[in-house]
Amino acid sequence: MTLSLVLQAVFAGVTNGMVYALVGMGLAAIFKGSRVINAMQGEFSVIGAMTTVLLLTKAGWPYPAAIAGGALAGALVGAFIEVAFVRYMAKKNASEDSFLLLTIGLALTLSASILFFVGRDGHLLPPLGGEGVLIVLDAVIQFHALWLIAIGIGATLLLRTFFHRTTVGLSMMAASIDADGAATTGINVARMRTFTFVLGGVLGAAGGILVTPLIGVDYQLGLNLTLKGFAAAVLGGLTNPLGAAVGGLTLGLVESLAIIGISSSYKDVVAFSVLIVIMILMPQGILGRAGRRGG
Amino acid sequence: MTSRLFWIAVALAVWAVLPFVVPRNIADLLVFTGIYSIAGLGIGLLLGHCGIVNLAQATFYGLGAYASAYCTVMMGLPSAVGFVAGAVISMALAYVIGRPILRLTGYFLALGTLALSAIASALFFEWDWLTGGTLGIGGIPKLDLFGFVLDRPSRYYFFVWIVAFACMAVARNLVDSRTGLMLRAMRDSSTAAASLSIDLQGLRTRVFVVCALFGSLAGSLFAHHASFVSTQSFTVDRSISFLLIPVIGGATSIPGIVAGAVFVTFLPEFLSKLGDIHQILFGLALVAVVVMLPDGLMGAVGRIRAWHVARRGSDAG
Repeated sequence: MTLSLVLQAVFAGVTNGMVYALVGMGLAAIFKGSRVINAMQGEFSVIGAMTTVLLLTKAGWPYPAAIAGGALAGALVGAFIEVAFVRYMAKKNASEDSFLLLTIGLALTLSASILFFVGRDGHLLPPLGGEGVLIVLDAVIQFHALWLIAIGIGATLLLRTFFHRTTVGLSMMAASIDADGAATTGINVARMRTFTFVLGGVLGAAGGILVTPLIGVDYQLGLNLTLKGFAAAVLGGLTNPLGAAVGGLTLGLVESLAIIGISSSYKDVVAFSVLIVIMILMPQGILGRAGRRGG
Repeated sequence: MTSRLFWIAVALAVWAVLPFVVPRNIADLLVFTGIYSIAGLGIGLLLGHCGIVNLAQATFYGLGAYASAYCTVMMGLPSAVGFVAGAVISMALAYVIGRPILRLTGYFLALGTLALSAIASALFFEWDWLTGGTLGIGGIPKLDLFGFVLDRPSRYYFFVWIVAFACMAVARNLVDSRTGLMLRAMRDSSTAAASLSIDLQGLRTRVFVVCALFGSLAGSLFAHHASFVSTQSFTVDRSISFLLIPVIGGATSIPGIVAGAVFVTFLPEFLSKLGDIHQILFGLALVAVVVMLPDGLMGAVGRIRAWHVARRGSDAG
């Protein structure tokens, strides 16, 4: 196991980890704001990436506009899901499990819709920053991956500022911690919940758009991203979107180091085994109680 | 009570005649309904009586199927050995994994079982010396009961459903026994149950092991019906569709489990006549059930009946 091989694995791990982090942050934001585990978080990514692909290739939009369109599509679907389904079920005091099943059903529907309307082919997007690569000690990292990591870090910091410094972010936290108390101070709890779904939709779409130049997008990508995002969020303590970033990076690194240590085919086995062990031994996530205060 | 007996007799008569009057493809689906009912029954026990969302049933279903396939095709052993081997391996695995994993609760447990299913499906794929990988294992013999070969869906139907009824009786017994009382106590107030020195974790593990046994039996039955098994049948998607059975039908009701199994086997088949759009429609049907019928189909039946009785009562008074 040479140094450059390890470095290569670290590069790959951080890149993948950032994608898991984006999906996981969306999941954690939604859980924080609505106590719903969103099993269709990965579908937000597929919708965002597919919309970008279609706007770019079919409608001929410039790339930045197509990316904005993809992110908007994620936001709109998120808002729609909340207004059309979650709001109604929350009013009837549906159980945790019914929300989980609702989002599983929605995930099946959306992935089938993409299969039906777009087809089963995979699609790629052009890499950000061109085709170039950076070489460090014989280890290669694409410029696109550097962009992805930078955007991921930026999104994490923005999210932190949003929850700590802006009125909307603070209201969202208040509404999730104590809905009745928040309502008496004039916060529109239902609208805050819609915002958390919009936020989750945008973060999921961003993850999908950023990963597409590396691995492509097809109708089946959603489930895998949901699982990894889930894992990232749980590792980070679930209620803490910033913890999800740490969780995503940990998961990405463990996975890619396992590839050089064991075999590439056991990547998912290692990732999910780590998840189970961490859930049992560290139920608060890897940041522990301290991490819970963070978001 | 007599009307209840009457309806049971009618249901049994329909059940006995059904495979002879329907076309072969429907008989085939009825066999699958039986197999899925067995797998769903275990998940229903966990969901309805322990509040545990089990997304790992495809693991045990796969273990049963591969045990049957490997014992009969690769080792040339009688099919009963496959059934027993699958059941023993599944129950042992459920016990070993169940003890640590069932300490988790709520979403964490659901995610833990989902992770388990993802791991198992990756291992089924990788261990191709055992499972044949994507190529699978073919040529699994049809079951042979003392010289009577169950080679047609109409014959296999009776075998599968008798096994299914036996499993339902076991489940019913479990729920009505002391264990069932403890389960109810645990579900309604786990703190109170623990203070009565009920071993919550042991209890959960026991039901998880029963669930795995049912999953493995269903898998073995599937292997002998399809005569071919490959990794595609034991993915996370399959675990999700098994979970849907008790959710759609109603987790605590045995007729509900059968209704759920009918839903997940027949609905996709009928919708597929409409062309490629059928998967979207299936997803929407599922969303509609979750949103509109939170207690499943049987919950809805119960509510209609209650409404009916209430109306009749108000008419009389």
